[in-house]
Amino acid sequence: MHNQAIGRKTSAMDKVWRVALYAVLLIAAAFYLMPFLVMLITSLKDVEEIRTGNLLSLPASLNFDSWSKAWSSACTGSSCEGISPFFMNSFLIVIPAVLISTLLGAINGYVISLWKFRGSDLFFAALLVGCFIPFQVILLPMAQTLGWLGIANTTSGLVFVHVVYGVAFTTLFFRNFYQSIPGELVKAARLDGAGFFTIFYRIILPVSTPIIVVTIIWQFTQIWNDFLFGVAFSGFDTQPVTVALNNLVNTSFGGKEYNVDMAAAIIAALPTLAVYVFAGKYFVRGLTAGAVKG
Amino acid sequence: MANLVIDNVKKRYGTTEILKGINISIKAGEFLILVGPSGCGKSTLMNSIAGLEDVSEGRILIADKDVTYTSPKDRDIAMVFQSYALYPNMTVEKNISFGLEMRKVPKEEREVEVQRVAELLQISHLLDRKPAQLSGGQRQRVAMGRALARRPQLYLFDEPLSNLDAKLRVEMRTEIKKLHKKLGTTIVYVTHDQIEAMTLADRIAVMKDGEVQQLGTPQEIYDNPANLFVAGFMGSPAMNFIPTKVIEQNGIPMLELATSTTVALPFPRPDALKDHIGKTILLGLRPEMITEPQPHKEGQPFVTTTDVEVEVTEPMGADTMILTRVNDAEINCRSNPMYDAEPGAIIKMMFDTAKAVAFDKESGRRLDL
Repeated sequence: MHNQAIGRKTSAMDKVWRVALYAVLLIAAAFYLMPFLVMLITSLKDVEEIRTGNLLSLPASLNFDSWSKAWSSACTGSSCEGISPFFMNSFLIVIPAVLISTLLGAINGYVISLWKFRGSDLFFAALLVGCFIPFQVILLPMAQTLGWLGIANTTSGLVFVHVVYGVAFTTLFFRNFYQSIPGELVKAARLDGAGFFTIFYRIILPVSTPIIVVTIIWQFTQIWNDFLFGVAFSGFDTQPVTVALNNLVNTSFGGKEYNVDMAAAIIAALPTLAVYVFAGKYFVRGLTAGAVKG
Repeated sequence: MANLVIDNVKKRYGTTEILKGINISIKAGEFLILVGPSGCGKSTLMNSIAGLEDVSEGRILIADKDVTYTSPKDRDIAMVFQSYALYPNMTVEKNISFGLEMRKVPKEEREVEVQRVAELLQISHLLDRKPAQLSGGQRQRVAMGRALARRPQLYLFDEPLSNLDAKLRVEMRTEIKKLHKKLGTTIVYVTHDQIEAMTLADRIAVMKDGEVQQLGTPQEIYDNPANLFVAGFMGSPAMNFIPTKVIEQNGIPMLELATSTTVALPFPRPDALKDHIGKTILLGLRPEMITEPQPHKEGQPFVTTTDVEVEVTEPMGADTMILTRVNDAEINCRSNPMYDAEPGAIIKMMFDTAKAVAFDKESGRRLDL
């Protein structure tokens, strides 16, 4: 090793620490990546290889059969169409539920922060309680309500459940964000002649990008990954992918196909991963926009 | 342009009364300043005029039209806010034209109006920028441009200069005054800065605890304050309040002034003090009325020269403030910087009581009105 300490004033001790630091970071990264790695390599092996090899041994050849089986022909309960129809179901639930709950949260936050009315703080406190109610508590009353509304076992029913449950969180996000917007902005717009929705649409929403992205990431992840509401309130045709995944893993004819299970699990997790990768960029962009002073 | 009448306006939050019956009336084209310490209700009154807050009682008339229950957008007023409240997502041009757009003014007219305002305020080169790319002074101009674009009947300014640094504040102050001269608009302007109030106003309303203490021209308020609060609030450095005993000399009430020697000061309205002989009152005397002996004033009525001991001097360039003590009260005197006043020395000072005022010691009530 060369001694670089002369110019940089770094001692040998500093170097040791640096190496140790990177070692710890690498170990931590490996620790968190390990399960995913196991899933990935298992999904690429065939059943025979899984039985004979060990958990971490690499596949002899890349074999995507399990992926196509998981997608289109694996059996989930009595049907054998893979998880693709349920994957679509999840999108049909998640997209409207995320959009509606985000929009409602934005309007709620706008009112609570910028159009304070008598009791608005109490209203907000009451809404916050919604963040602390465990899912299980509302299962029975919600089933009853969905029955009354005539949307039990339907996609709309699940959208409804997720919107109701999500509004508490989305309102909290938007309310806290809008607290930092000066109330004078709304006053100025009112004097300029703009009404409630015009101010919201023309002035408040355009500056809300960061919090919209945060809310969408949060809501998308929550709703996509939900299993309990999905299993409790969906009909046979409207099951989300999480429920289908469970059924796929629990349905076996003969030997357990770990490779198909793993492939299905990764497919089910891909959209949330994509949202993080894709929206994360906009998130950072949203945070820095306007922060640059001329 | 329009006149403004505020008729017995009261505002209550629960049981606390923020405005306790405000009566102010200004003519079209007048520049009214609401001034007072924080919490005096001046911003609440401003918001009430704008219609952003409802009043509990009373009436507000703009251009002889009762607008007490009219919504803000229909009052035909514009407001400049302390934080400027520029729309952060819009360019300067959009900021200025937004109000016109909301009032459904055609696009061509809007463009013409934006150009006019931009030229007036010299912000034509900034029209494409976003508020975040502007300096404090530029934002201030854009905020004023937004108000000017609609040509409203009444302009409201809510502490528009308090976010600027000292130098820029003085510049913008002059700018606003020029603009008012040029456009002859009716303006209501809130500030807590008494110098801003003195320099800008046609009339000043001094407020405290939800009440108007005095409404008058800057000179009236400066020379003839209605009570101890107004006298102490307006003027910098503040008016001196000297506790003095009223004594009788040759049948005329005089004011006793004790330093190393004791003299009797004459008072311009002695009759007002007749009932107070033998009692102690507060004599109000502005610092510029206590100076070094000036030969041309010698022998004038109400001029008295006596010895004082210098405690501290504060040279300000144009004048030097001399801090001294009379009747056991600290007082500020304004002297020529050339006058020899070393701390600790006994020097001669000239007290000119021609513009002196008298207050009740307990209530702060003016005694000689």
